[in-house]
Amino acid sequence: MTEFLRQSLVIAGKDLTIEARSKERLISMLTFAVLVGVVFTFSLDATVPSRSIAGAMLWVSILFAGMLGLGRSFTLEKEQDALVGVLLTPVGRGAFYFGKFLANLALVTGTTLLIFFVYGLFFQLNLWAAWTGLALVTALYLIGFMALGTLFSAVAASTRLGDSLLPIILLPLLIPVIFFGATAAQRLILGRPLEEVAGSIRMLGAFDLLFLFACTIVFGKVVEE
Amino acid sequence: MSQATSTDSVMSQTALADLASFRSISRWAAVLTAVGGASVIGALWMVFFWVPTESTMGIMQRIYYIHIPTAWLGEFAFGIVALCSAGYLLLRDDRLDSIAVSAAEVGFIFLTGTLVAGPLWARLAWGSWWVWDARLSFSLLLWLIWIGYFVIRGGAEEQEKGKRMAAVLAIIGSLDIPLIHMSVYWFRTVHPMPVIMNPEGPTADFEIGMTIAASVTSFTLAFFGILLYRYGYERLRRQADVLRYAQAIPDR
Repeated sequence: MTEFLRQSLVIAGKDLTIEARSKERLISMLTFAVLVGVVFTFSLDATVPSRSIAGAMLWVSILFAGMLGLGRSFTLEKEQDALVGVLLTPVGRGAFYFGKFLANLALVTGTTLLIFFVYGLFFQLNLWAAWTGLALVTALYLIGFMALGTLFSAVAASTRLGDSLLPIILLPLLIPVIFFGATAAQRLILGRPLEEVAGSIRMLGAFDLLFLFACTIVFGKVVEE
Repeated sequence: MSQATSTDSVMSQTALADLASFRSISRWAAVLTAVGGASVIGALWMVFFWVPTESTMGIMQRIYYIHIPTAWLGEFAFGIVALCSAGYLLLRDDRLDSIAVSAAEVGFIFLTGTLVAGPLWARLAWGSWWVWDARLSFSLLLWLIWIGYFVIRGGAEEQEKGKRMAAVLAIIGSLDIPLIHMSVYWFRTVHPMPVIMNPEGPTADFEIGMTIAASVTSFTLAFFGILLYRYGYERLRRQADVLRYAQAIPDR
């Protein structure tokens, strides 16, 4: 188990180092998220109170920005056949998947924090009032999103369709996680108590464990050469 | 040259063996489809002439007898796809992938039938073609997952990769099946509750229960007949691909 975690951290470190040098994924995700906020500002009816649709706006922005970043996750490995090099190392397939998952999770978490900050400013949302509940729900949502997203970005990268395939295969599978995450976040933003969304939190936790377990097992079959 | 001739000969023998197996599959498919087709006609006779009209919903309740079997087969087929996909990933037996893709295509047609029959009933019962009820939503998601399954197969760089990737999607996508089944218990729903397979036992009237059972059984028989036909065709198509490939290679 320690070895598994050590190998996963090595892979995550590799991805984050590449990202720290190029900054291409983070910059595109952040810019895209801010642009979506601007689009919402101009396309929404001014009489609609922002608070009543804040959950939906936040979740749509996180989802699309996250998918933009996921698309690059494995195309990076395909360049100059880097994937073959990684597969030849003694890193286990499960650890490889978990490392990619951790790196993707770190990137999307950074983007999400900026989205919360920018949307708080753009739409005068007081997200601090329920920050503990919101942080818990968002973390569980992001884990489920990245667990599935990491696996299917590898699947999409191995087809001719590439990134354009990712939303088609990922979104239908992700809807339950989006449903529990978005509805819980919306209620928390509206000032409802954490106990009211306890059921959604339990469901999110269950989906996260299920997705992480299933994806770690089948990932080896995806990257097989 | 002689090595090439012997390889071609082995391939021709394999092709002949496959042709013989295709004939046997076709015979079974014909028997099952004939029995299934006849029993579907029998079930339709029960639907239109035997079962009494349900007291609260009236004549539109008869859509149930088409909607329930197609929904059951839509889910059941995905179960077959997921199991065969897991088997294919473990054993790499091409026949399992052939069953998976055949069941996916036939099941997709049945699930499409469910998504057409459901709104026809809903328009009359609820006054709306579609409501975002949990069971309806998860059924639509399963239908979309199926589209993804076909897109992956078509878009793969190599055929073998396409089979593997589609198998992975089928395994993860099968997690949607328990959600569809349990959605009427886990979420507030406007979808009618099960009248046969519910925890308290069957609650439907005898005639209604019998007609549902007859339509489910007959549709299932017809499903297996069509599945067997599709499977036979898939095996033959793959064998033809192998032979075409062998012929395309110049003499060694």
